Amino acid sequence: MAGQVCIAIRDVYKRYKSAQEDSLSDVSLNIMQSDVFGLLGPNGAGKTTLISILCGIIPVSSGQVQFFNNGAPYSNAERKSRIGFVPQEYAFYQELTPRQNLDYFGAMYNLPKKKLEMRREHLLEVLGLQKSADRKVGTFSGGMKRRVNLAIGIIHEPDILFLDEPTVGVDVQSRNAIIRYLQQINQAGTTIVYTSHHMSEAEEFCKNIALIDHGRVIAAGGLQHLKSAHDAGSLQTLFINLTGEEYRD
Amino acid sequence: MFKLYASLRKELLLLINDKVGLALMFLMPLLLVFIITIIQDSAYKMVNENQIPLLVVNHDNGKEGHKLVELLTKSGLFKIDSQNAIPQESLKSELLSRGKMIALYIPATFSAGLESNAEDVSTILMDDLGLERDTTRHQKVSMPKLSFYNDPVLQENYSYSVMSVIQSYMSVIENSLMIDRMYANMDIAERSAKLKDKMISNRVGIDQIVARNNNSTAIPNSTQHNVPAWTIFAMFFMVVSLGSNIVKERINGSFLRLKTMPTTFMVVMFSKMAVYVVVAALQVALTFSMGVWILPKLGLPKLSVPDNIIATIAVIFISSMAAVSYALMIGAFAKTEQQANGFGAISIIIFGAIGGILVPTFVMPGFMQFFSNFSPLHWCLEGFYVLFLKGGSWQDLRTVFTFLGVFIVFCQLGTYFKLRLERII
Repeated sequence: MAGQVCIAIRDVYKRYKSAQEDSLSDVSLNIMQSDVFGLLGPNGAGKTTLISILCGIIPVSSGQVQFFNNGAPYSNAERKSRIGFVPQEYAFYQELTPRQNLDYFGAMYNLPKKKLEMRREHLLEVLGLQKSADRKVGTFSGGMKRRVNLAIGIIHEPDILFLDEPTVGVDVQSRNAIIRYLQQINQAGTTIVYTSHHMSEAEEFCKNIALIDHGRVIAAGGLQHLKSAHDAGSLQTLFINLTGEEYRD
Repeated sequence: MFKLYASLRKELLLLINDKVGLALMFLMPLLLVFIITIIQDSAYKMVNENQIPLLVVNHDNGKEGHKLVELLTKSGLFKIDSQNAIPQESLKSELLSRGKMIALYIPATFSAGLESNAEDVSTILMDDLGLERDTTRHQKVSMPKLSFYNDPVLQENYSYSVMSVIQSYMSVIENSLMIDRMYANMDIAERSAKLKDKMISNRVGIDQIVARNNNSTAIPNSTQHNVPAWTIFAMFFMVVSLGSNIVKERINGSFLRLKTMPTTFMVVMFSKMAVYVVVAALQVALTFSMGVWILPKLGLPKLSVPDNIIATIAVIFISSMAAVSYALMIGAFAKTEQQANGFGAISIIIFGAIGGILVPTFVMPGFMQFFSNFSPLHWCLEGFYVLFLKGGSWQDLRTVFTFLGVFIVFCQLGTYFKLRLERII
């Protein structure tokens, strides 16, 4: 149900062991249900750290993250069942076929065999992988691998989907296919949290964004609202205006 | 259950797709067992069944030198090459130039010296018994010395063995001469045969008994050592397949992805262990089958399978667990696949060398024998030795299980803490 908070991030700090500075500092955000929320920022801003915290891969140093479903908080076990994660890396088995990868990860999400088979064939079809479903993923192009990576993250029809640079290094056709499918599942109710360096893609895809730099949220809210508030014609201009033009390591 | 089935299936598929790993795990032990057994068996036969080439230069003016050469020839231990024309001074160079490893020089006064000594012994005995004897003074000839030459590359214990054999034949000749001389002095020379027979032929025999704890008939041979030894070596070589498999999963993010899923990492680790323990069991079945059915067809000794099947299964299981646990630890600590493969393979070769896979630990220097206790391969091999060569019982296997148990716990804890540090578990 749109309009209800889905993820509440409160005063989150994160400092890695032996690091001199915080990777995240005083981050507070609300992500609404059925939103497409963009976490944007230059390299090293803290986007991946934040998404890793939201997925439960790393803990916060301090602060709190809560997940809600129609206003009721998720338990830890429920949260794991209801989120999907598509990492930046090709986090699957290159020696296996897309079918074999989907079978394995689907089973890890506790999908019953029948449902898993149904979802697997559906995703292979809609993501254009049907013809190559029995070829080893290691032989695939970058775009095809991205689609396999996405399919694994959504095999269990998650309520909340985290995407870390889902279209990096792919051709226009694959990017369009991925974005189109993500828009479809968002319309069906899936909340999407997404990071990207493609400003035009983010502008087209996101409803709300948070701009992060040096571990801090420097702007957050509706995309149109932020553009008008900062007198920026495009997301890219807004981004440059707020984060500056100097190189980032 | 479906999760476990899917995880086992995934591991099996990864294994089937790893052609190099499969070749290392299944083809390598067969080749190693085959090649090393043939080489060791021929070396074993060379020492035990072939004759030792011996160059003999007999310059003796009497008949005892000839008698010694005859006894050495009849023993069947030596292949005698008699070259009496060679002077003693050039014997060293002749030995080296003829490619012989050992030579025996019998001096000109050999018989005279022995006879003189026998006469002395006889005289002492006659005097002590108060018997009359021939008082004619005989010419004294000092006790002769045989010269034994050996190539410097020849092992010392090998030379000593040959010298001992010559020494024992010398005793026969000397005793025979003394008896002859004493009987002659007593004018009953024709009756000496009975005493000679009693003193020389009828001596204490030695029964060779191989130490075993039951009635096992397995005789130590190249097959009984090589089949288990190289099987263990190959088991541990699964580090190349399993270790790099874990590194890949750590690096490509599959493990982290699993962390976001409603599953326990134990399912993943259990599946890996289960699949690779089965692989190890298959390796054993394959190489043991080769030892039982194929090696005998090639003229090599047959592998005698131990009677205690339950203990055999237990040794195979604990050895497999040790190999799997080591591979998991290497996979957890290595930063790249190259590191896992390189360090894993080299460490197994080192563990194999100090553990007695390449050469038995008893021929190693003391400090190396101490270090062999730190090799898991040593304890695995010890387990198989207890079963195969000593017909061992559970009592004998206790130390093996203790050491391997400690090793397994150490590796598993190492893996756990490393993966925890990386926040994978």
